[in-house]
Amino acid sequence: MSISVRSSLVLSVVLLPGFLLTPADLPAQSTATDVARQVDQLIAEEIGGESAAQISSDEVFLRRAFLDLVGEPPTSNDLLAFSLDTRADKRAKLVKQLLADDGYGTNWGRYWRDVIMFRRTEDRAILSQPALEEFLVTEFNANTPWNSIARQLITATGNVRENGQTGLIMAQGGRPEDTVAEISRIFMGIQIQCAQCHDHPTDRWTREQFHQLVAFFPRVAVRPTMMGNARSFAVIEKPELKGTLMQPVFFATGQQLQTGVLDKDRRETLSSWITSPENSWCAKALVNRLWSELVGEGFYEPVDDIGPDRDCSAPRTLDLLCNELTAHDYDIKWLMETILLTRTYQLESRNRRSLDELPFQANCPQRLRSDQLFNSLLAVFDIEDVVSDRPAAYGPAMRQGRGAPRLLFNSMFGFDPSTRRDEIGGSIPQALAMMNSPFINQQINAQHGQMLAPLLAEVNDDRQLVEELYIRVLSRQELRVCLDFRRGINSRSEAFEDILWALLNHAEFIHRK
Amino acid sequence: MHYHVHNQLNVTFSRDGQLRRRSFLRCLPAAALAAGSLDWRSRLAAQASQLRTKKKACILLWMQGGPSQFETLSPKPGHASGGETSAIATSVPGIQIAEHLPAVASAMDDICLIRSMNSKEGSHPRASYLMHTGYIPTASIKHPTIGSHVAHQLGNPESDLPDFVRIGRVRSGGGGGLLGVNYDPFVINNANRTPDNTAPGTSTDRYLRRLSLLGQLHDEYESAEQRQEVKDHRKVYGKASRMVLSSNMKAFDIAQEPAGIRQQYGTSEFAAGCLMARRLIETGVTFVEVAAGNWDTHQDNFSRSAELCGQVDKPFAFLLEDLKQRGLLEQTLVVWMGEFGRTPRINPRAGRDHYPRAYSVALAGAGVRGGQVIGTTDPGGVGVEDRPVGVSDLLRTIFGSLDIDSDLENMSGVGRPIAVVDGGELVKEVFSG
Repeated sequence: MSISVRSSLVLSVVLLPGFLLTPADLPAQSTATDVARQVDQLIAEEIGGESAAQISSDEVFLRRAFLDLVGEPPTSNDLLAFSLDTRADKRAKLVKQLLADDGYGTNWGRYWRDVIMFRRTEDRAILSQPALEEFLVTEFNANTPWNSIARQLITATGNVRENGQTGLIMAQGGRPEDTVAEISRIFMGIQIQCAQCHDHPTDRWTREQFHQLVAFFPRVAVRPTMMGNARSFAVIEKPELKGTLMQPVFFATGQQLQTGVLDKDRRETLSSWITSPENSWCAKALVNRLWSELVGEGFYEPVDDIGPDRDCSAPRTLDLLCNELTAHDYDIKWLMETILLTRTYQLESRNRRSLDELPFQANCPQRLRSDQLFNSLLAVFDIEDVVSDRPAAYGPAMRQGRGAPRLLFNSMFGFDPSTRRDEIGGSIPQALAMMNSPFINQQINAQHGQMLAPLLAEVNDDRQLVEELYIRVLSRQELRVCLDFRRGINSRSEAFEDILWALLNHAEFIHRK
Repeated sequence: MHYHVHNQLNVTFSRDGQLRRRSFLRCLPAAALAAGSLDWRSRLAAQASQLRTKKKACILLWMQGGPSQFETLSPKPGHASGGETSAIATSVPGIQIAEHLPAVASAMDDICLIRSMNSKEGSHPRASYLMHTGYIPTASIKHPTIGSHVAHQLGNPESDLPDFVRIGRVRSGGGGGLLGVNYDPFVINNANRTPDNTAPGTSTDRYLRRLSLLGQLHDEYESAEQRQEVKDHRKVYGKASRMVLSSNMKAFDIAQEPAGIRQQYGTSEFAAGCLMARRLIETGVTFVEVAAGNWDTHQDNFSRSAELCGQVDKPFAFLLEDLKQRGLLEQTLVVWMGEFGRTPRINPRAGRDHYPRAYSVALAGAGVRGGQVIGTTDPGGVGVEDRPVGVSDLLRTIFGSLDIDSDLENMSGVGRPIAVVDGGELVKEVFSG
């Protein structure tokens, strides 16, 4: 099938709102490349303006795509190979390759772990965090469709240390109001919990609608249990009981269940209604969130407060992506690939726009999430992650600050990924840890660290060594300042320790451009 | 002499623009003047602490786990609920507290007890969050903790030291929340050690050399393009490195305290925390939280409460005394509280379980009228009988004593205004006059 035929198919989908495509309707689905092109055209039409930003350089694109998809920076070999690759479609090939890497599921599983856990109202939910992470990592690597992941998280039961899909309910201690509010926020981008106590101040939802939603979750609870000798919790329900008080009504579509429906059927019903194509909020929330993470600016901000009375910066573009996502059966990798292939994603990064500037004229720099930053440190220092068999640093271990290095690091550098990124600043304890922590200073040390000593021995040319360190830490090259600095210091090893220290503390290192 | 005067003026103006040189002598405590032979440093310290008293500050002694009111501030000797704990007289006739707190009993003139605290939250995380923020936890809004509000409204943005320091691990105590990371606590795990990551990994000279290289790299980067994230990053690094190099960092070093003073505080980890708290407040930190725990005495409540009281009694009492001697107590509120109380019923393991219906807190300093008890419970301590005080009432009282407006509204991420305290009323009787 030629590209032009396929584009016209895509167009027909766009032009026929409400016409739902299923895989069976089409000989082949529209490809990521086609839709990416459509997206760029539509953004140009909807928003206008000719972006002053150029397409990003290979160096910038490579580091961005690595960090965004697999959560770690490229190695110097990756950078070399990519720079030497002359194929016109090398970016598309790289994206495919990264999406097939296990690092993809690890990275995005951890992202969604944070989405769920940073809003926990039950602190003991930290016990369920490793299982939740494992569940998410596995599902993302298997490219399980988003509606299926959502269904599993909404209908889960069982021991929270074993069944990771219970993590979302455990994070809210099983309290129906809090759990339902999170389900609405995460899967639909609607903050209906404000209607818990009063009619929503800015949206149209009412208190009654909130309580009708809560009625889908009767008698779900979290109870203490044991797993071997370890304390744990279980998410339980009484499947055969019938709710009688409040009729469950799904506010987004108006679909309703009769009172008296069995508890076990209520959650099932809610999850299938939320993820059904008729509920457009589900696709919108996912597309908006992933677009915002990747392009750096959402159609709606913050990502989890999208409607119904909020302004969308490019509604037709968002609709196109949502319709395609639904047509692709909530295929998350397909969505990622599509976004990464857009010109909008691949533009150079610029400062976050001011309100009077047009949206999507450049990519927006992102502060690295804690796991991405920790992975970057591991990559620079050439060390392996220490995997702890400890279930979680909770209880005495957490109080005493013990636990796997990654957990400790995350406790200092982690942030709620649903927060507007321009509201997340660095903190003084973070700066202190990057500058002075024994962990980093030991790795920098030319005697004790495993990384600098062999480099100092193997690379005799100062210029080459500066280049090597630059590429390792910032994935680019620059010489002047560091070479001048090197000339002013007698001890070669001390000079390079200092250079490595400065590069690691550079603003560029904790951001992706 | 000129040098001295010059510095004196600098200090005077930098700390409080209203002061003039001639007011310096008036500001010095009488005791310091009487000593006569004060060297420059001691005079500076004396003046600094005097200037410090211009600004309100707060120390929160956080009793993690929920201390038993029966074994601390509200004993019920002779009643089945009271168990084996007896009561002792305090320095204030008519007020008795549990036998395990003799030093606190002697300091009762400065302490106001509230015995009618009550809430509905009986789980540790939720109740800790409630007592620290005045709100029950919600997924969509992270409410600022008391210390963050105090730092937000009373903190000094120019200070080398953080405005809000938390000593010890406090679980579910909240942070800056919707106010942002700038108002998160600076956490010290162990008051007997230098705070984590505040000492450079190299000599000071080399640290400065590294900072200078970093500055040049940032300059070079910014000469190509002005980027907001670089600007913000440099600001945070500027503040963090100023802190590392600041002479005020010695406030964190309790080893510099005279042996006599250290002895008065005692040797527990909590004692070290209290001493550090005083040093920090004296240096200009606005809010210090010191944690003691674990008070979750589901088993062996009596022996464990006695032991925990032993760790807390002297440091709490001497902290008040020490602040008073330095002229800091008048401006510094000290709060002693945990997330809830414990059951009147003694369980089969000689323990007491969680009980939010009636518990006690203590307040001192910052205009609090000491030597009084507010509220009563019934003879068995089952319920509040008189003058119930809710968590919002308590928080309003705490903020009120620090001249902080509890009705101020901060914006949440979804554009919803959140008051510092929702509802409640200030407990007027707490204050004198």
